[in-house]
Amino acid sequence: MRVLTEISELLQKGKAKDVKALVQQALDEGIPAQDILEQGLLAGMSVIGKKFKNNEIYVPEVLVAARAMKMGSQVLAPMIAEAGVEPLGCVIIGTVQGDLHDIGKNLVKMMFEGKGFSVVDLGVDVAPETFVEAAIEHDAQIICLSALLTTTMGVMGDVVKAVEAAGLRDKVKIMIGGAPVTEAFCAQIGADKYTVDAASAADAAKDMMMN
Amino acid sequence: MTDFVTCTYGSRVLTIEKGTHISEILSPEHKTGHICGGKGTCKKCRVLAFGEISAPTETETSCFSAEELADGLRLACQTKVMGDCRIEASENGVAQICTEGTLPDFLWTPVFEQFGAAVDIGTTTLVVSLYDKTRLLATASASNPQSIFGADVMSRVQASLEGKKAELAVLLRKAVSTLLTECAATAGVLVTDIDRVAIAGNTAMLYFLTERDASCLSRAPFVADHLFGEWVSGASLSLPCAAANVYLAPCVSAFVGADATLALLSSGLCEKEETALLCDIGTNGEMALWHKGDLFCCSTAAGPAFEGAGLSCGMRGEMGAIDKVWAENGRMGIHVIGETAPRGICGGGAVDAIAYLLQTEKLDETGCLEDDPYFFAKDVFLTGEDVRNIQLAKGAIFAGIKTLMRATDICTDELAHLYIAGGFGLYLSLKNAQTIGLLPKIEKEKVCLLGNGALMGAALILLDSSAEKRVKAISQTAKTIELAGSPIFREAYIDAMFFTGET
Repeated sequence: MRVLTEISELLQKGKAKDVKALVQQALDEGIPAQDILEQGLLAGMSVIGKKFKNNEIYVPEVLVAARAMKMGSQVLAPMIAEAGVEPLGCVIIGTVQGDLHDIGKNLVKMMFEGKGFSVVDLGVDVAPETFVEAAIEHDAQIICLSALLTTTMGVMGDVVKAVEAAGLRDKVKIMIGGAPVTEAFCAQIGADKYTVDAASAADAAKDMMMN
Repeated sequence: MTDFVTCTYGSRVLTIEKGTHISEILSPEHKTGHICGGKGTCKKCRVLAFGEISAPTETETSCFSAEELADGLRLACQTKVMGDCRIEASENGVAQICTEGTLPDFLWTPVFEQFGAAVDIGTTTLVVSLYDKTRLLATASASNPQSIFGADVMSRVQASLEGKKAELAVLLRKAVSTLLTECAATAGVLVTDIDRVAIAGNTAMLYFLTERDASCLSRAPFVADHLFGEWVSGASLSLPCAAANVYLAPCVSAFVGADATLALLSSGLCEKEETALLCDIGTNGEMALWHKGDLFCCSTAAGPAFEGAGLSCGMRGEMGAIDKVWAENGRMGIHVIGETAPRGICGGGAVDAIAYLLQTEKLDETGCLEDDPYFFAKDVFLTGEDVRNIQLAKGAIFAGIKTLMRATDICTDELAHLYIAGGFGLYLSLKNAQTIGLLPKIEKEKVCLLGNGALMGAALILLDSSAEKRVKAISQTAKTIELAGSPIFREAYIDAMFFTGET
């Protein structure tokens, strides 16, 4: 459908207001919310994710696309909730205690939502026990941790320990990311997966859920 | 009868005879360019001159564009002082470490007995200036030796927490001591005769210098447990002037340090009625907005793109760096520092380069580069990724400014003054910085370049007996706005990342 392609294209250009207006227009035309989400918004995000992974576009474009995605999905949220669509899985995400950076974390969240996960965002400066509590409450399959500072990435290890202490370790996968984080660090603290960017994180999470 | 006029040269105020050539009053370190002996043929004695000066000579109009002349660029051997004016040494366009700056009008009332030393401890560079009771005697600079623990502040905080606290202090104290000794030797005085020292530096640098536990700077809520603003002995910092009283200038918060309060002091911004913005652009960008008695500050990590690092062909503003790029009759013009073969591009050159690419539609507003990489000279180019780094850096700075303006609910038109501190600012084309959306669109007349504001502020502490009280007041008035996690900043950051200029 023409309007859905247009939503996808405008989303890729980051035209948040136009996306929002077109989503409303599509709804008014009687197109089901689920179709608008999948063939419009998510289709656009999927292109963004691929281009981002291939280094064709960079963080700025992804951020504006993500913002457009958010504006569009806000319009759809009530209808989607009503339809009761089954998500791919539940993910708890947050920036670890002591760290206030959220731009990267928000990107990961967007990419996960783009893959069909339901995401519980705990925000920034999140204590290890808060991650554990949220994972139990939402019966989550994955916990995603973000840190931008050399001085706060160590807290990720504390979260792994807290998850072990709560007896959840075999139920929950722990994924980590952020500028100072490395594959070696991931192994060192005993987390399950490190990815270099947001799009790879969502792909890896989907693989984990499938296997 | 001879007419005498007042001329401000760097941090000095000189009384000189009307009609004197600028070249006659330049200090020895700036006279290196006078290869032709003042004939106006070598064109190496470039300076920035403002105020009542002679009209450009034919030699000058042939070597500078109208815009450069309007920017104040002149040849020292061709330009005469005709009345009150201000001169800044330009050292062929760019100084590697900014050791110069402009001081506001103040009552010369030194607080030291014999000699005073102003010290600026930057994350990347250190500068020391030595004064006697009448003038600047010597200046010395060096790289911050702590960079072995990482170029950014956070890596060093981490190193400090991992048991390198003492080592960080020793490195810094030794380097500052060396510079103090060097200055004293240049001036031909005894380093032990320095009786007062004033130190500028960001909060973390002062923590490292005084060997404080930096845990509180390592994680949220980032509340510094000490904000300085006190006098200590030279001996306590292992300085060669052991008996000297050393002033550690006051900080505002963990991220807004004594470098910012002293830059604010040197700008004189808080003594004015009008609304004014101060931007110090370096690896970290510090911004402060003064509005109706409120002073809001913020700090944002911009990365090293504007310092020339972090770009494929990036380099500091030294010999061989492209420092200017412009469009001329449909062709590209470049200027290379030292008029040699281009080796790379410096921060100011990169800003010009982006503006040029935008004007000639080789780069679109999203930052998509048509020809990637784009060559400015045989071996000097910008890649798509370089463009991203510049986008992220300028986005962070501009979003910080926007966040401050939102906090005070003012718009760009309401800004009466824009102060730009930092070495990068001195050689930046304001117009191009506005074209790429690094700085707000404000008229040239409202812009004031401070140079190394932190160093100038430290000098003021020594030279003006009322300055300490003023900087204390600044540090107490200032409120820090935390940008990480601020939804206003996040939105502004995304908007500011594009090359649409100010929106």
